[in-house]
Amino acid sequence: MAGHFRPIAIALAGAALVLSACTSAPAPTQSADPGTGSSTPPAVTEPTTLNFFTDKAAWEPSFDQMNAASESTGITLSFSGYSDPTAYDAFIKQAFQTKKVPDLFTWHTGDQLKQLVDQGLIAETTPLWADAAAKGLVPDGLIDNYTYDGKQYCVPLNVAYWAMYYNKHVFADNGIAVPTTWDELMAASQKLVDAGVTPFHQMNFIFEFVWFQTLVLGIDPAVYRGLGTGESSFLDPAVVQAMELWKEMGSKGFFIDPGVQTDPQTLLSTGQVAMANFGTFFTGQLTSIDQVSGEDYGIFVIPSVNPQVKNQMVLETGPLCVGAGAEHEQAALAYSGWWFTDDAQTVWSDSRGDVSFNPNVPVKDPELAALVAAANSPDVELQPRFLEMVPNAIYTTEAEVMGDFVTNWGDPMEALKKMQASADEHWGK
Amino acid sequence: MPPPAPAERLSHAREDSPTEGMLMTTTASSARPARSHRNPFARASVGFVLPAMVLVAILLYIPFVYTTYLSFTEFSGLGTPEFIGWENYVTVFTDPTILRSLVNTAMWVVGTLVLPVGLGLLLAVLAHGIKGSAWYRLPFLLPYAISGVAVGLVWTFILQTDGALTEALRFFGLPGADARWLLDWPLNTFVMIVAATWQGAGVNALLFGIGLQSIPKEPIEAARIDGASGWNLFRYVTWPMLTPLTTVVIGLAIVGSLKTFDIVWAMTKGGPGRASETLALTMFKETFTEYKYGLGAALAVVLTIVTVTSALLYLRRQLAPAKEF
Repeated sequence: MAGHFRPIAIALAGAALVLSACTSAPAPTQSADPGTGSSTPPAVTEPTTLNFFTDKAAWEPSFDQMNAASESTGITLSFSGYSDPTAYDAFIKQAFQTKKVPDLFTWHTGDQLKQLVDQGLIAETTPLWADAAAKGLVPDGLIDNYTYDGKQYCVPLNVAYWAMYYNKHVFADNGIAVPTTWDELMAASQKLVDAGVTPFHQMNFIFEFVWFQTLVLGIDPAVYRGLGTGESSFLDPAVVQAMELWKEMGSKGFFIDPGVQTDPQTLLSTGQVAMANFGTFFTGQLTSIDQVSGEDYGIFVIPSVNPQVKNQMVLETGPLCVGAGAEHEQAALAYSGWWFTDDAQTVWSDSRGDVSFNPNVPVKDPELAALVAAANSPDVELQPRFLEMVPNAIYTTEAEVMGDFVTNWGDPMEALKKMQASADEHWGK
Repeated sequence: MPPPAPAERLSHAREDSPTEGMLMTTTASSARPARSHRNPFARASVGFVLPAMVLVAILLYIPFVYTTYLSFTEFSGLGTPEFIGWENYVTVFTDPTILRSLVNTAMWVVGTLVLPVGLGLLLAVLAHGIKGSAWYRLPFLLPYAISGVAVGLVWTFILQTDGALTEALRFFGLPGADARWLLDWPLNTFVMIVAATWQGAGVNALLFGIGLQSIPKEPIEAARIDGASGWNLFRYVTWPMLTPLTTVVIGLAIVGSLKTFDIVWAMTKGGPGRASETLALTMFKETFTEYKYGLGAALAVVLTIVTVTSALLYLRRQLAPAKEF
């Protein structure tokens, strides 16, 4: 008889080994009420380490400094960084299919955050935002990126203001002053082309949408916002005008060939391009190659194409989210509340060398300080970034169409018809 | 006359005498449990194999079955997949972007067979018999030690606009300085195949070299005595005797080219737009950047069927018995 059981016993032992290898740590105890984020999170009574995940692996030193700063609160982060954003997105989505919900993780605003909110996977942070707003810790308008059906989810990990970086030496060598109107910007560009310098940086992937958003915003901001809700058409005269202007600028040689794949910071610092339309995260990239703010490069607000339109500036923000039902959900919410504070944001801003969303935190870089002051002035209107503003299905079509457009400068109407077809399909028209 | 083999004896016994045949049949059938009895570990061996089978099922079969299931659904990676029938498969064969990927993948298959395999064979034949031929082949083998992504980065440096190649052509006043190597289709796919050739030709040359060394000298000498030389000697004697090696090299090349991903990802990201995507890249993009897990799964199933079918057809044809030359 023993002989009959032997194969079964061996098989069971093997299966047990396989299962034990495949099974992760015991599932965390589920929060009794995943929706408790709607109330103020209770104070954490014992030291807690949160499982923290991010696609910003290179930012680990900054998070180490944040751990030193948050030690007094009793909450620190166990850092897990991904270098590949695509793999990271897949990992987070997969994590929500299991019981191993991340305590705290970085994500994307816009359609991608909406997807998680719609599935009830994110803990609500409405009281934290109310508290931060009452204490003046957040600028106006930022909350829009985190609001769904009147409730807030996640807190801002970082912000970036989009503006024009320029090479001061190239401007000085060619006798060009910082442009304050669109006409001045175009005249300066023509002067640079005549001098053999390519005025603008441009890419045909990842950031192919940047000039599209700049031009449409500068012509008609309302139409721009409507593209994100389906209220505007990609065939609107303002959008058509933007595309034709873009093509005209391309035909004049205002943009670098997108086949040049040298880093934009290298291109700007070496004067191969005179200007680069980027978010304020670009300061860090320039600093990494020893460029000095205010000496080697400066930053200016891009003037609107239409002089009747107030200057527009894109405000990009990335969220720090708490998984609903995570093992340490309450501690993660408490940490999110602390993240808003002056203390936390001062450490974060110093560590990153970047601007903070918290207006109380001083910006040490003079160029960034001037830009942030302009952004918060009544002369400038803040707008969401195109990538986060439109649904993912429309963005992916845009990436394909605009990537091709800036490479070959084809027919603008053909490109816009493809965009509108994608929008119609998404909005169900 | 030698004594008949046991099976023959059994057959003869049946024909000669039904009773004897029955006896022999009974004896033969009763021999089976006896054989089993001789190997007491026969059943236990099942237990030893089972864990490995379970592992294979978990790591390979279940994911494939799940992928096939996903291919009939609409799924964004969150929530529950929604069954939509054959819709994803219809998209695979009608969407212009995916059809372009199919064309590019076909270009990769043909290009890989012509360039890395053809060049590898040429290198091996030229080096064969030369003193110190290993040293001659070595430089061609070195790029194989580099990953596909690294090869892509190196060649991007060479081929990008104002890259090393353009600068060199401009410096020497040669034509082609204005070519947009990575921006214009199908030029970008072609130059990426050239980059893959730089990496892959050496290892093919190595394999063909081993094949050439393993060919016995006698048939070659006999052919030479019969007057064969040069191309005729290669075409009618050497090449047929290389068949086992050629089968392996071409089989690997077909499978490898059908799933081309890394070098394209590193050099063009499938662009501009989506002009240079291969099926593997489209599968990745549809799944992980467009969050169309169902369509990505359908592409994975189609790619698997195409790869396995082409490999099977090729191997069956090449390894068919009684092949004479």
